[in-house]
Amino acid sequence: MNIFLKEMKYHRKSLIFWSIGVFLMVISGMTKYEAYSSSGQSINDLIADIPKSLRAVLGFSDLDLTKASGYYGMLFLYLLLMATIHAVMLGATIIAKEERDKTSEFLFVKPVSRSKVITTKLLAAFTNIIIFNLATFLSSIILLGKYSDGEAVNSEIAILMAAMLFLQVLFMVIGSALAAVKKKPKSAASVAAGILLLTYMLSIVIDLNENIEGLRYFTPFKYFEAKNVMYGGGLDVLFVVISLILILTLLVVTYVFYKKRDLNV
Amino acid sequence: MNIFMHELKAYRKSTIIWSLSLIAIIVIFMSMYSSFAEDAEDFKRILENYPEALRNALGFNQENFFTILGFYSFPLSFITLCAAIQAMNLGTSIVSKEVLAKTADFLLTKPFTRNKILTAKLLAAFVSIVMTNVVYFAAASFVALQVKTDDFSLKIFFLLSLTIFFIQLLFLAFGIIISVIVQRIKSVLTVSLATVFVFYFVGMFSDTTGDEVKRYISPFKYFDAAYIIKHSSYEATFLIVGAVIILLAIAASYVVYNKKDIHAV
Repeated sequence: MNIFLKEMKYHRKSLIFWSIGVFLMVISGMTKYEAYSSSGQSINDLIADIPKSLRAVLGFSDLDLTKASGYYGMLFLYLLLMATIHAVMLGATIIAKEERDKTSEFLFVKPVSRSKVITTKLLAAFTNIIIFNLATFLSSIILLGKYSDGEAVNSEIAILMAAMLFLQVLFMVIGSALAAVKKKPKSAASVAAGILLLTYMLSIVIDLNENIEGLRYFTPFKYFEAKNVMYGGGLDVLFVVISLILILTLLVVTYVFYKKRDLNV
Repeated sequence: MNIFMHELKAYRKSTIIWSLSLIAIIVIFMSMYSSFAEDAEDFKRILENYPEALRNALGFNQENFFTILGFYSFPLSFITLCAAIQAMNLGTSIVSKEVLAKTADFLLTKPFTRNKILTAKLLAAFVSIVMTNVVYFAAASFVALQVKTDDFSLKIFFLLSLTIFFIQLLFLAFGIIISVIVQRIKSVLTVSLATVFVFYFVGMFSDTTGDEVKRYISPFKYFDAAYIIKHSSYEATFLIVGAVIILLAIAASYVVYNKKDIHAV
């Protein structure tokens, strides 16, 4: 319990900054929506004619951008990017920082098993992620309510946030597994961030070319896309299963490797 | 000179990795060009049915949009994003890595002034960035020449690629100023990722309003690809603003670093 509280306190400040950041992000995104919605239906017709690869280059999506919820669906990709950066860094540093700060000796001579330390640390990281998710959820509901003109958007936001949570947890365990496996714990965060950017790039490239749709299993950013999830689409069961399997595997990897780890002191 | 060589050696591996990743990104994106060019042909015909005003509003009235240069400006925005992270990492780690690795007192007791140390470190970071850009440009122009469907101006291609270098310099300067001001940076990557993405998102959401003033906030908006393609030159005001920011930040870093209280271990 002490470890948990210590971790929560350690990450409190950064969590506050991230939450403010996501709030500002939704604000700045939605103010841009005003410009879109005033341009009216003609843009929608035109967008529908644009071939898929061009649409990706231009930054349009398949969503109806004249509706507040459709616009939010486009914004969601960037919220997702932000949330996953937070999660992947958190997962990597929460494990690696003991060795980085040379406090691992201090921590692991305490009468607590390594598994227990990992469990508490991951729980603390998970709590942080939930708080971040809720902060995004609340900012979205409050701000979208102002722009939606009575359109019922809350349930759409809720399902998008559920999708976001899956990816957050997935990237968190990617980070923690890397920190547990890598010899030099310092580089875990860099590699984790690299993987994140790589998968993000992959998702953009897939948008550009329909022939490589098959690669979408390799990038979590394609698992739950706003256009599929919203308007009654729900979360694709196949991808939920894939995410869960990945999360479990990486969790096991974290525990197994960290237990046997030769700590650098 | 020793410090310079030592720093350069320390950056060697990361410079190679970054250069290779940037090249990989550009190769993947440019390999999609042929399918884009086909789609673009179809779309040009569709576009002709739309009124002039609407085409202008969407911003792709210019002939150049569908050329390889227009397409290149799309991956360029991701490349600058990654390159900015590299530069910011370099800048932020210049001073703070000595504190983190507890080598600051070792270095500062050597018979060199702080000015000299900072200059050597800055030069090493600068060389690392120049190397990345040279290698990147060689690879990018080679790929572009391979996939082109029509002839294009290599000069404009060079100007577009050079924006990466300018943005890197800006973020290098940001990084240095942050690393001398903040007493102890626990994780360089977190700081640089957060800063770069904040500017990236701010830039993304400020462009449609057509507000010139807002463009000054985000370095990512200092170089408008459409403008460069059209005029084959940069916008002078933004170049000046960028140069002033870099000079001020670096000058301020020298002043602060000279007076900084650096804790010994």
